[in-house]
Amino acid sequence: MRRRQFLQTLAAGGVVGALPAGLNTVFAADASEAVSVEDLPPIEGELTLYLGRGEGGLYERVLDAIRKRNPKLELGVRRGPTAALANAIVAEGRANVRRADLFWAVDSGAIGVVEEAGLARDLPADISAQLKLGFRYEAWAPVTGRIRTLPYNPTRLSAEQVPDDVMALADSSLKVGWAPAYASFQSFVTAMRLDRGDQATRDWLKGVKRHAKSYAGELGVVMGVERGEVDLGFANHYYTLRLKAGKPDANVALAFTNNDAGCLVNASGILALGENPAAVTFIRYLLTREVQSYLAEEAYEIPLVDGVAMPQGLPPLASVQPPKIDLTQLADLRPTLDLMRDAGVL
Amino acid sequence: MRVRWPPPSYPLAGLIALVAVLPVVVLVTLVGDAPDPFSPYNLKVLLNTVVLMALTVLGSVLIGVPLALLTAYVEVPWRRVWLVALAAPLALPSYIGAFTFYAAFGPGGEIETLTGLSTPSLDGMFGAALVMALYTYPFVLLTTRASLCSLDASQVNAARTLGLSLPMSLWRVVLPRVRNGIAAGALLAAMYALSDFGTPAIMRLDTFTRVIFVEYNAFGLSQAAMLSLQLLSIVGLVLYLESRVKTPHELPGRSLSIWPSRRQSVALFAAVAPIVLLAIALPLAVFGIWLWRDGAEGFELAYAWNSAYAALLAALVAVVLAVPVAHAAMSGRAGRLMERLTYLGFGVPGIVMGTALVYLGLKLPLLYQTLALLVLAYVLRFLPLAVGAVRSTSERIDPKLVNAARTLGASRGEAFRRITLPLTLRGIVAGGALVFLEVMRELPATLLLGPTGYETLATYLWRVYEAGYFGRAAVPGLLLILISALGLVLMLSGEARGGRSVLEDNRR
Repeated sequence: MRRRQFLQTLAAGGVVGALPAGLNTVFAADASEAVSVEDLPPIEGELTLYLGRGEGGLYERVLDAIRKRNPKLELGVRRGPTAALANAIVAEGRANVRRADLFWAVDSGAIGVVEEAGLARDLPADISAQLKLGFRYEAWAPVTGRIRTLPYNPTRLSAEQVPDDVMALADSSLKVGWAPAYASFQSFVTAMRLDRGDQATRDWLKGVKRHAKSYAGELGVVMGVERGEVDLGFANHYYTLRLKAGKPDANVALAFTNNDAGCLVNASGILALGENPAAVTFIRYLLTREVQSYLAEEAYEIPLVDGVAMPQGLPPLASVQPPKIDLTQLADLRPTLDLMRDAGVL
Repeated sequence: MRVRWPPPSYPLAGLIALVAVLPVVVLVTLVGDAPDPFSPYNLKVLLNTVVLMALTVLGSVLIGVPLALLTAYVEVPWRRVWLVALAAPLALPSYIGAFTFYAAFGPGGEIETLTGLSTPSLDGMFGAALVMALYTYPFVLLTTRASLCSLDASQVNAARTLGLSLPMSLWRVVLPRVRNGIAAGALLAAMYALSDFGTPAIMRLDTFTRVIFVEYNAFGLSQAAMLSLQLLSIVGLVLYLESRVKTPHELPGRSLSIWPSRRQSVALFAAVAPIVLLAIALPLAVFGIWLWRDGAEGFELAYAWNSAYAALLAALVAVVLAVPVAHAAMSGRAGRLMERLTYLGFGVPGIVMGTALVYLGLKLPLLYQTLALLVLAYVLRFLPLAVGAVRSTSERIDPKLVNAARTLGASRGEAFRRITLPLTLRGIVAGGALVFLEVMRELPATLLLGPTGYETLATYLWRVYEAGYFGRAAVPGLLLILISALGLVLMLSGEARGGRSVLEDNRR
């Protein structure tokens, strides 16, 4: 389904063709079908969304399509860095000024901050039931996922040379690119900390640091891998897929580790602030198969409701086992930062 | 001259200084449990920060001062176009500049891909300082030029009559007299280098702002506030050093004109072109390549109008407020302190400042997230740009002129209106231009405090940059520079009118 067709489907209510459901074997909990926008009531009235992410048109198209389908909806959108918007929402909460009905954040840590301030309201149980097992929460709904990957440069090493155990990278001689200041990387280290303990994580950080090159962000890591500055790197999967979409002959391929923090699946999420009932309906729209498959195809994000195909370019994940970790635990960044400073990588 | 105490500008300047320092007060309230500030790691970071600042100042003065001489004195054809093009880098967010530099140079970079020429990678301290200097020299250019334009040329003419060559007379007779203009610009460049996050991050240099940013993004707002306050101690030191730079008062007069031959004009153009090429043409060319690769979509012209409108309002308000503050700064020590206080906020990283302004804005819930409050936030953030420029020109006014006017029966207000204000006009215009350009590229406050859905060129640039759709940054990037150029032209035409009537000197 391409862009235009997506818009037609969502806006005019066309019928979606049968979607292949076989690729996402890892997450398949049960075979229930995703909800269609056809099944949802229209949204009416004013709604203000704080969108913690700049998405150059992709999220915009989803919002436009929702607007088009709901002519009586007056949707205001404020975009900003996720942490800044989370801080603004907390500040508004303290001043008893409420401007946002919804907070859609790229980072589950930001969700945790708002939730901890007691500003998120509980969602109806049937919303979390639509999500895959392991992604069901009371006061927020994961929207799409991203998996940690090892992008590598195939002109410098072969797929077999990439270890499938992330811990093994500490002692390897490969030149590694990473972005320690980047939120997703910190979440990954937090997951490793929860998985293997502080000492092992500190040793790992110190080990990798010896042959690592730091970048500002993970797009930079992927570009560094592509340019051959490093052999492989740590990055969310979609940077590689998007780079390849713009430059199909790019010298970068994806590898995955197995059942450790190296292949953690994290999620962007949305939560409702206050009592506006339209906010909950809006969340339901984001979980429809139309929106989910659009985000998978165009933004290369991993759909988190059942019955929607994985993005193109991600290999069949049958062999990859992501670790089981409660995403809200990843909001506990303080010990991770201390650990990373201690190891001298931040 | 005996003035009555307190000087008339004190109450107003005091009030403005108080409001301008409020965001910093908010930061103090946000500080919670303090982390250990000066661990060995942070000392390394501190060293990087100070070295980057020093190199940035050095670079911006080395580029900015010659260009100020050129645009102020040399009668080349299309002089205003030169000035506008040379000031335009101020309109481009430095993270955009740094990112395109990073992408263009080095093995596998765009330059090598296109031409096959291999270039060295640009990163680390050298890369960061180069990019910073290229995007801050217009501060020095504009403030120095404003001082140069009100400088009487007769001393230079005397020096040349006595046999001093032109370069030597510029060096020994002109530059020492505009030290304060140079210092005002260098101060702004220094504070920009201290508070900018994007450039050191992209060039992979560990500076104080990066540590602050990491804390902020890890939801450690109180730690980020704490570190920002620590950063202010360096800012305070820089502010003190700059205030030591003093030049004696002298009468304004007919300014110098240098008429180059056609060949000299071409040579000058060849010398200046690389700067414009690097600072503006290179980023736009890189974006152009990406535009061609990715295609553009989703852009609306309304963003450009939003940017220009808010920037113009902020520039107007800022210069109106800057006049009493600059006047106070020249009236005594207390006034000097008030003026210094307005600078503090400029040294705080934008995103932390943005959050402090949210807390401040929430004290006025009726205005929260309205255009009025956004403009106020811009003014609080960029007031020092206007103050610095106004002060450095006002300091050059001879108090005898005001006394003479008073003796002839003008009231205090009339003397200010008819003597002081017109003589400061160049500084006011330069200050307004600086604020305008800086607001055009401002991001965090715009995102957090603008009316919901208020999209400007800078926010749109940020959006597509964040998402990695760089091609779409080409059109807004170009527009940002175009509108900034238009704004500069507008203000410079105002300057030209004012300059003529005061200096009874038709420069044409």
